[in-house]
Amino acid sequence: MVTISLKKLLNKKDVLSLIKEMSAVMETPILIQDTQGRLLFGEENQKELGHYPVKLADDIIGWISGGEKAASLASLLSYIANKEIQEKMLARETLDKYKEINMLYNISGRLTACLDLKQVANLIIDEATRLIKATSGSLMLLNPDTSEFELVAAIGQEYDPKAPLALGRGIAGNLILTGKAEIINNVQADIRFVEGRNQIYSLICAPLQTKDGIIGVINISHQEPINYTAADLKLLTALASQAASAIENAMLHEQKLKEERIKSNLERYVSAKVVEAILEEKDDFSFEPAKRDIAILFSDIRNFTTKCEELPPELIVEYLNEYFTHMVDVIFSNGGTVNKFVGDMIVAMFGAPSRLVYSEQGAIKTAIEMQKRIKAIPVPWIRQNFITGIGISSGEVIVGNVGSPQHMDYTAIGDKVNIASRLQSIAKGEQILVCRSVYDVTYNLFDFKEVGTVQVKGKKKPVDVFEVIY
Amino acid sequence: MDKKILIVDDEPHIRLLMAQTLEELEDEGVEVLIAENGEEAIETIKLEKPDLVFLDVMMPKMNGFDVCYAVKNNLDIKDVYIIMLTAKGQEFDKEKGQQVGADLYMTKPFDPDEVVEKSWEILGL
Repeated sequence: MVTISLKKLLNKKDVLSLIKEMSAVMETPILIQDTQGRLLFGEENQKELGHYPVKLADDIIGWISGGEKAASLASLLSYIANKEIQEKMLARETLDKYKEINMLYNISGRLTACLDLKQVANLIIDEATRLIKATSGSLMLLNPDTSEFELVAAIGQEYDPKAPLALGRGIAGNLILTGKAEIINNVQADIRFVEGRNQIYSLICAPLQTKDGIIGVINISHQEPINYTAADLKLLTALASQAASAIENAMLHEQKLKEERIKSNLERYVSAKVVEAILEEKDDFSFEPAKRDIAILFSDIRNFTTKCEELPPELIVEYLNEYFTHMVDVIFSNGGTVNKFVGDMIVAMFGAPSRLVYSEQGAIKTAIEMQKRIKAIPVPWIRQNFITGIGISSGEVIVGNVGSPQHMDYTAIGDKVNIASRLQSIAKGEQILVCRSVYDVTYNLFDFKEVGTVQVKGKKKPVDVFEVIY
Repeated sequence: MDKKILIVDDEPHIRLLMAQTLEELEDEGVEVLIAENGEEAIETIKLEKPDLVFLDVMMPKMNGFDVCYAVKNNLDIKDVYIIMLTAKGQEFDKEKGQQVGADLYMTKPFDPDEVVEKSWEILGL
């Protein structure tokens, strides 16, 4: 409530000098006192003739004592007081508006800099309860999968409804359907109200609206009847719209971080290009084991154990890493996936996790490039000693994550895998061997030489073997 | 002795807002003085010796930097706390403010809570 005291009014230099001047001109000594009888102007021992009230609207804020003429001075002072209070009320209102603008200005600055969902929500609730009288406040987001609200931030008594609020349940759950902010100044009388642990009498609830729809609500409440006003509602709505876009940003950021994590994990197995394909075609890709038509490539260094004995272990590891780097590069550039390294052996897949149209062709092209790349590695020892044999098969296998919860491997399982492994083991240095299924779809693209048949462990029928001439 | 705060700004709205902001200090016996330009500010500071001055930078006749420099150096009034209050928020202004001897730098739109808080602190109330 804006008030004004006579003392303060007389403290104003221009008012005081005006009174002095008038008193002199009217030749009437006067005495001004406040309602408690304290002397504000003049001298106590003057002969008092009459008392005239100084009034602010209908309230008396002091007295002027003096001759008859003092009555007009009392009127003048009343007039000044009333003018002053009008100006003060206007100033107060302007300052309140200015505070609101300043708050929105500050909060938008802080929100822009904040990408953490919880932090954004806390900031909004803090500001809202600072600006609007409240004993509790909460920000809830609607989970689109369950249609239930999830509490992101709360102050006051911890928000804990007896049953979780959901779409169409509770005031917030209904408000999300209408999309309109509401003031409910007697919550208990509202049939939509679902009682929680918080004692609530008055409530303002505003939806968090984004361009894609309503994502949640902000509640501001008081345990006593506080009669929230339209101005409070407007303020919370303004805050809610700021909050909605900041929350949307924070959620997008979280999503992006998650994708980055998946991406960096994936990039160790497949090329960046394949990772992009996987991330874009989310439906096509899954870590769940499933049947897939793929080509499998095994590559191994001949007599590696013997070579190892020639060099100190550190150097062997250094050379092996150099060699793997080149081989992985070739595999990735042809759309393949590195399944695993077993010692010096490389197992690669073509067609998983993302599908490849010409997986057999890709595998042979990779094998030829691998053989040629070894000869181009700028370490003479590697060129002379790392001589590899490669085996390729294709067909339906099971691919996906296999292992225990502590350790999972994305791998391929099936007969065809065993065949590729077997072909690799019989391949001489610099040789690339493939089975019939690979040969049948690529014979007019590459040169082949028929090798004969080999027996594969666990298979009754021998396997036809072809050598790729490159 | 009663404390005094001087508000210096050429914009009547800002003067009104600042005065209203500082109203709660008036209840504590603090006198709030107003100056509408740089020259008036210098006169008031000489005459009234305020404890704290909120000084606008961009004003006609004499800008806030000049007023601050004059007070702190030429007039040699060191025990007045001067807060530069300006819409400019660039690093250059802050540096300039420091050079002319300002004690603090606040940017517009000013934060009413911050203004009150700082005033309490500086006046030791």
